[in-house]
Amino acid sequence: MKTFLTLLLAGLCALMLEGVLARVFSPPWCPDLGFLVVVSIGLCLRDLIPGLFLAYLLGSSVDVLSGSLAGLQALLCVISFLSAFFAASQLNLKSTLSLMAFVASLSFVYGISLFVISSLFVENIDLSWRWVLENSLHAWINGLTVPFVVEGVERLVAWSGDDDSQERSLYIESPMRPL
Amino acid sequence: MFGFLKRMSAPIVLGALILAALSSLVGGRSARDGENLPWIQGLLLDVTVPFQKALAVPGDLIAGAWDSYIDLVDLGSENSRLQAELTDLEQVNLHLREALVSSGHLDRIVEMRDKFEVPMLPAAVAGLDVSPFFRSILIDRGSQHGVRAGHPVINHEGVVGVVSRTSSHAAKVLLIFDRQSAADAVIQRSRTRGTVRGRGTSQPNFEYEARRGDVEVGDVVLTSGLGGVYPKGLKLGEVTEVADLGGSLMQSASVSPAVEFGRLEQVFVILRRGTGMELLYETGEFVDPGPSPRQGAEAGAGQPGEAGS
Repeated sequence: MKTFLTLLLAGLCALMLEGVLARVFSPPWCPDLGFLVVVSIGLCLRDLIPGLFLAYLLGSSVDVLSGSLAGLQALLCVISFLSAFFAASQLNLKSTLSLMAFVASLSFVYGISLFVISSLFVENIDLSWRWVLENSLHAWINGLTVPFVVEGVERLVAWSGDDDSQERSLYIESPMRPL
Repeated sequence: MFGFLKRMSAPIVLGALILAALSSLVGGRSARDGENLPWIQGLLLDVTVPFQKALAVPGDLIAGAWDSYIDLVDLGSENSRLQAELTDLEQVNLHLREALVSSGHLDRIVEMRDKFEVPMLPAAVAGLDVSPFFRSILIDRGSQHGVRAGHPVINHEGVVGVVSRTSSHAAKVLLIFDRQSAADAVIQRSRTRGTVRGRGTSQPNFEYEARRGDVEVGDVVLTSGLGGVYPKGLKLGEVTEVADLGGSLMQSASVSPAVEFGRLEQVFVILRRGTGMELLYETGEFVDPGPSPRQGAEAGAGQPGEAGS
């Protein structure tokens, strides 16, 4: 419960900070801290159900604080969390480069998904090359920022007493394993 | 049974959360739900705005000091230039007043202005949209100050956007270049009518009928007052590029917004909804606009300078 509340509070603070940062670094240069916290929780937290609730609550908060359609970011944050959660156990994301590439790709898909779902509800949304380029750039900004956010979330999880991030890597039984 | 439920708890929670998100997505589209945020979401908005204002203080101080220094550099020459401009404008103003008084229109205009005065509320911008895909801002005035969803928001430069959601002490404003935003507009020079539609980028589009259109680069785009959202005559921006779409019935031009959104700090909320917004947010019954103050607001805000003052 302590971890849950700590991460929820950290996520909300990240969202508020992002709103201020956006005044200095206009989109697409401003990293999407809310999204990055959700992905980092997926990479660091072992429990699936509290993580799902966290992703949903943080996504709903993004819906409240942005001009987004209600429920849209909540839905995508839950899906992003799940992607990160399963990627952490199936892919080798220990190296910074692979982590950055994974998060940049996920961020790009997130942007495209926002576009596709919004176009179902809002008329006259055009997909321009300029927007695709901006979305790619934004994805890479997110990729460059994610190591710092993951580090912060790992520290918070460790501080709140549920440090199990080391147990997420695949454990391979081997007869050569020293006793 | 218990073991089965325990095994399936994650898929059940996932399904429930996805369903909740989808129901918000579909249910949240109704206008009545858009009026005010539920209390828990309103609380989040109310907490966020002072927090963001406090976080922004150091940055604003540094930016303010830098701007003051830059301003000092050319202060002397700028002062002389402005004094010369002021003298010219005073002369022009004098001539115009004389012309108005001589034609007997001034008294009637003053009378109209008093009658159709539009109440406006100043507000400070607390933060920008936390999602890069959407374009909105948070302001530090909410329903307790009389702000309602559908109220237009302007500043001294022109149209900023429209209030989309409110809490008791804060409100969310959809900017004019957001993808969900559109405003009925007119070209000041040729009176060509069209729609300024947001594209999510810094430059919205002015879309107009090709056959009747006369649009050139540099034309000033104003609100027409016919869309039922914004009062008439507010500046939206200037045409920067006219696209040639060949034989298409509709043509479009890029518009550079009048408002410099990157440096937006103070705005004014017009505390009256346009007729379109009033119909949208009323209780669902048809509301006859009739000879109400709303009509007065549209007519009275005909002068951009007046509405923005």
